[in-house]
Amino acid sequence: MAVGEPVPRPHEAAEDVSGSPEPVGRAPAIRPFLLTAGRVSGGGNAPPMPLETQIVSTSAGLSALNSLTFEHRDIVAACRWPESVAELAARLRQHLNVTRVLAEDLCAAGYLEIFVPNARATQDVSVLRRIIDGLRAVPD
Amino acid sequence: MVSVPSPTDRAHSATPAERPPLPVKLVIAGGFGVGKTTAVGSISEIRPLTTEAEITEVAAGVDDLTHTPAKTTTTVAMDFGCITIDPTLKLYLFGTPGQERFGFMWDDLVEGALGGLVIVDTRRLDDCYAAVDYFEYKDIPFVVAVNAFDGKVAHPLDEVRWALDIAAHVPLIVFDARKTGSVRDALLAVLELALSRAEAATAT
Ligand SMILES: Nc1nc2c(ncn2[C@@H]2O[C@H](COP(=O)(O)OP(=O)(O)OP(=O)(O)O)[C@@H](O)[C@H]2O)c(=O)[nH]1
Ligand SMILES: [Mg+2]
Repeated sequence: MAVGEPVPRPHEAAEDVSGSPEPVGRAPAIRPFLLTAGRVSGGGNAPPMPLETQIVSTSAGLSALNSLTFEHRDIVAACRWPESVAELAARLRQHLNVTRVLAEDLCAAGYLEIFVPNARATQDVSVLRRIIDGLRAVPD
Repeated sequence: MVSVPSPTDRAHSATPAERPPLPVKLVIAGGFGVGKTTAVGSISEIRPLTTEAEITEVAAGVDDLTHTPAKTTTTVAMDFGCITIDPTLKLYLFGTPGQERFGFMWDDLVEGALGGLVIVDTRRLDDCYAAVDYFEYKDIPFVVAVNAFDGKVAHPLDEVRWALDIAAHVPLIVFDARKTGSVRDALLAVLELALSRAEAATAT
């Protein structure tokens, strides 16, 4: 499915287009299905991207901002600087899984880049030492 | 050596505007109202954010209406904060939802975590069983930290260890979720444990 063309369910389509550019308050429970047409991040079998996955806009995405639908535009605009998918969902008040799916679409279109953390980093002694040293420097 | 995350195969050739840090995470778990959000807020450089996720829950019984095994989707809120270690490394802290029944459904949250901190309120010890069991089952390094509400701990630590059936190799500490330095030290205990485990794995 192409970015910018979410496939709303027939009965609910009318509500979607009336959305304001700035989502306010909690996303109602029905919206995940509207925005992602019921799709699940990771394509079913693959695990969903971890919460700390970093998302960054590409220059192509930033140039295309004005042509994007508001949900997509919000994401691309919010990721000028890298954001985790969890931060992004929280700031945009979207369900995490909605943000995941929309980000995957935008990545496929070349508007975002998704950096899934390397699972081996959790076993990497030098990374752990750097975190420990960095944390020790936090004052009381 | 792992220093920067590599783009996924889903990633596109278009250049990102900025290079992201390597994200690593710790999970802060424990029962309802034990001080998870307080602990995250005490050390996070951002005010804790909340995100909602859907968790699929397979109920023990059958659905009353359809008589099929009930698989329901529950929305849970989890909060999190972060600490920038340096421009290339960022530590995220995720607080799990407190309800015990979500204990087995944290996979999404915990996937890839360096370790866990299980917070305990000694006035309600039972509340943290689910978290302790979960980390043990997943073989994720964790530390049990008693939150000294008002500086008081209702039971001596060896009683807590016995009551919770915490293995001897699991560190058990007392901390104050409201104090930055205390939360820092509790997180360091988790990281030291993760480090010694990683060192042991490297040595073999
Ligand atoms: N006196 C005292 N109060 C604390 C301490 N830690 C947390 N609290 C209070 O206890 C209450 C619950 O703390 P939270 O940090 O929200 O606990 P939580 O584990 O995030 O709770 P849930 O997310 O609802 O499970 C809040 O009113 C805190 O202000 C502490 O060390 N001492
Ligand atoms: Mg909380």
